[in-house]
Amino acid sequence: MPRTRRRNSPDARRRLRTGSRPFQGKAGPLATQRELSDFLAEVERRAYKQALFAVRDDSIALDIVQDAMLKLTERYCARPLAELPLLFQRILQNTIRDHFRRQKVRSMWTLPISSLFKGDPDDDTDPLETLEANDDSRFSEPPAEQAERSQVLAFIEKALEKLPARQRQAFLLRYWEELDVAAAAKIMGCSEGSVKTHCSRATHALAAILGKQGIKL
Amino acid sequence: MNQSEQELAQKLVGYLDDGLDRIEPRVRERLAAARMNALANYHAQPALGLAGSGIVMTWITGHARLMFAAAALVVATAGFVYWQSARQSNGLAELDAYLLTDELPINAYLDKGFDSWLKRSSR
Repeated sequence: MPRTRRRNSPDARRRLRTGSRPFQGKAGPLATQRELSDFLAEVERRAYKQALFAVRDDSIALDIVQDAMLKLTERYCARPLAELPLLFQRILQNTIRDHFRRQKVRSMWTLPISSLFKGDPDDDTDPLETLEANDDSRFSEPPAEQAERSQVLAFIEKALEKLPARQRQAFLLRYWEELDVAAAAKIMGCSEGSVKTHCSRATHALAAILGKQGIKL
Repeated sequence: MNQSEQELAQKLVGYLDDGLDRIEPRVRERLAAARMNALANYHAQPALGLAGSGIVMTWITGHARLMFAAAALVVATAGFVYWQSARQSNGLAELDAYLLTDELPINAYLDKGFDSWLKRSSR
């Protein structure tokens, strides 16, 4: 069922094993404006999705990505190109965390008021149960397959949103951003063992959530 | 990590990659605008010396108290040295004035080490 991954080449798999990415390395020439632009263009959509999985609001996710980009260009544009992926991920994760810090402070003031107007407390419906496939006709594959794939994607994205934050973070950094365990641990501020544990739990949890919906990958 | 886990992760990521192509044009445009906005802040890499001075400045601002104490010490030392040299030069000027007028300052008579100096220098 899954289509061939764009990044599923042997080279991409080798990078996944070794933890290296085309932009990743210890040192190298300083990033030019063009290279920085290319780098941001490559990572911006994944960054947006990462932020969206975390905050579940597309406007806030866009703001977070914009902030992360600004911080990168303002403070770290004079760094070697090879350092940008790690730097950008650290900035992005910190910006997401800062958002939650602000949210926590804000909630201290707004929670007592909003609790007066909250909805039905017994409403514990699972959003996955009511999720419908997007009607998207941009792809050349047969409509049935396209719809199915679209639906599976929506389930996966919803399942990612439901994961504990640390598990989701580890999974996305390790597998989607293809960072090695050490780099992911550095960004998350935990041990390499914790990253491996979070990744394993995340993968199993995702498989379980999808399995409940009758989806087998 | 066992193989099946990694395979599953790769399949999941494959779907996520496909999802990137389905991001709404509105969002893509905003991301592109954000990128352009960020790149407007790009400034060319300063010369190595300037970069070095930037690092030094960062260190200095991070150790403000220490730097303040060091600066106070330097100023105090410089002040003391200046005062000493000024005093010495004033004394020399006074001495010159006395010598030119064939007079000796009173201090010359009170110099206890004069005799021993004289003995040493006369040998």
